[in-house]
Amino acid sequence: MVAIETTGLTKEYGDLTAVDDLDLTVDDGEVFGFLGPNGAGKSTTINMLLDFARPTAGSATVLGYDAQAEADAISPRVGVLPEGFDVYPRLSGRRHIEFAAKTKGADDDPDDLLERVGLDPADAERPAGDYSKGMRQRLATGMALVGDPDLLIMDEPSTGLDPHGIREMQDLVRREAERGTTVFFSSHILEHVEAVCDRVGVLNEGELVAVDTIAGLREELGGGATMTLTLADRSGADARDLVRDLAGITDVTASGRTLECTVTEPPAKADVVTAVAGAGASIADVRIEEVSLESLFTALTNGDTAENGGITGAAEADATAVEPEVTR
Amino acid sequence: MTSHIPTVARKEFDDAGRSKLLWSLIGLLVGLVAIGYTAIWYTIDDVTAAEVLNFLGLPLQVIIPIAALIAGYMAVVGERRSGSIKLLLGLPPNRTDVVFGKLLGRTAVVGVAVGLAFLASLVLGAVFFGSVPFADWLGFAAVSLLFGTTFVGLAVGVSAAVSSRGKSMAVVVGCYMVFVALWELLTAGPYYLLYDEGPPIEAETWYLLLEQFNPIFAYTNLASSVVEGTIYPFQFQYGLQSPEAYQMTPAERFPGDAPFYLQDWFGVVVMLAWLAVPVAIGYYRFKRTDL
Repeated sequence: MVAIETTGLTKEYGDLTAVDDLDLTVDDGEVFGFLGPNGAGKSTTINMLLDFARPTAGSATVLGYDAQAEADAISPRVGVLPEGFDVYPRLSGRRHIEFAAKTKGADDDPDDLLERVGLDPADAERPAGDYSKGMRQRLATGMALVGDPDLLIMDEPSTGLDPHGIREMQDLVRREAERGTTVFFSSHILEHVEAVCDRVGVLNEGELVAVDTIAGLREELGGGATMTLTLADRSGADARDLVRDLAGITDVTASGRTLECTVTEPPAKADVVTAVAGAGASIADVRIEEVSLESLFTALTNGDTAENGGITGAAEADATAVEPEVTR
Repeated sequence: MTSHIPTVARKEFDDAGRSKLLWSLIGLLVGLVAIGYTAIWYTIDDVTAAEVLNFLGLPLQVIIPIAALIAGYMAVVGERRSGSIKLLLGLPPNRTDVVFGKLLGRTAVVGVAVGLAFLASLVLGAVFFGSVPFADWLGFAAVSLLFGTTFVGLAVGVSAAVSSRGKSMAVVVGCYMVFVALWELLTAGPYYLLYDEGPPIEAETWYLLLEQFNPIFAYTNLASSVVEGTIYPFQFQYGLQSPEAYQMTPAERFPGDAPFYLQDWFGVVVMLAWLAVPVAIGYYRFKRTDL
């Protein structure tokens, strides 16, 4: 079964296209990370899934129901942690959970749920207006968990949480996933997603630029690395021609005694060393910088302005490689 | 699908019940009744509880709308601005449940305030003036509850229709100003332009019908017909009508038998219209808006 499916989903605000022809499928039971920088259209997409905003074109289904026409069938089965929400300042944390349970016809024990999200009984009795941002986030998470939803939709769940809270949030997502809950959550920070997601989708300026597993993204990136050779006896420019045409090497720059190569295929590293050493040059040092997933993300979402040219090159190659996946 | 209106209304009531503003409004209403009754008891001899009920008409026609508008103008838009509406709509309640749950919850809140004020009047009337004018009292209380509900509906409707607190407040304050301060200018003014004279006592029928549609007139006319004596509407007067005309209801001003829409009871229809139309517009707009 498909938990979330969008078809040509588009949202325009006047001249601004917030979400552009989005085709996205989230399968039942998976943990899907929805990545993208702030303003990429993540919240707009989620708002359309929840019928908070109406698409300009296209459609979306959630748990098989049309997000607009059958919204009433969706909400009892879904737990939502919205972005930019607020609590009812005068009502206690416990009253919030009780209200959620009442609307969902669930018989969850409020204390149980509050404990699961890390709010202690003393906090539960206080008006939620006194809560810190992190506590509000926990409370809203607790409300989302009421009634054991089939699908959890969380918009930037790590907002307002400290590193410890973020780990707890990740544990919670993992536990929910183990119970068979589908989790769809957005973030602008890759490392929050990386640890728990089966698959990620990367959104940039309203368009989906990549959809893959974390492992798949790494693989696409492959040996994507920058290799820097320092030569002992000659200038980099002399060695440049030796490696320029090797397979798996995309970009070579020389300066002084160093030679910087962008490597797209891991075995090419050995070829570079062999070629340079084979020509009789003596190598003083070899340094290899793996391109991190973070820089791939940066490159995908911010291609032209990534500070490191080598990384941009690798990532651009990668983005093209991912293309078939996107249009699938 | 089961309706979540009662659940939302209940939450609203709980939430509003913890608001200091609301308790100050209740204090004001009940306090006014207590002070007024004590003052009348102290200064006027030989008055019955039924006659004193009439005294309530003036403060109530001012305080009830203000209390109801304050209770309602933030109902929907306040949650939109703070973001708690996302928490609410992320749960099973939908937009229909939100608008009508809020209307119900906030009406209940205003109802409690008005109810407590009338309870105070009943008790104080019995204590100070030795009688319980139950029928008058009940009728007046019912009309006042409807009057309060009307303004809650107006405010909740406006709060659902607009996207910012400022707009909601502007529209709500604007409406109140029109009813209390600008009504004569807006109705008798055009009359003057059309006929080169202010509306006489026996004015044109359209003008009398227009007069019916001020919800405050509707309230005072209806209340006057259930209590002893007459309750006059509190209005800014610009002198476009004769002093006698200000004191008369449209039914009294109409030569001969007034048609049904000029009768006092038609005020019920007027109040229900001021309740239903803003709610309908607000509901329509809120259903279609992006949050």
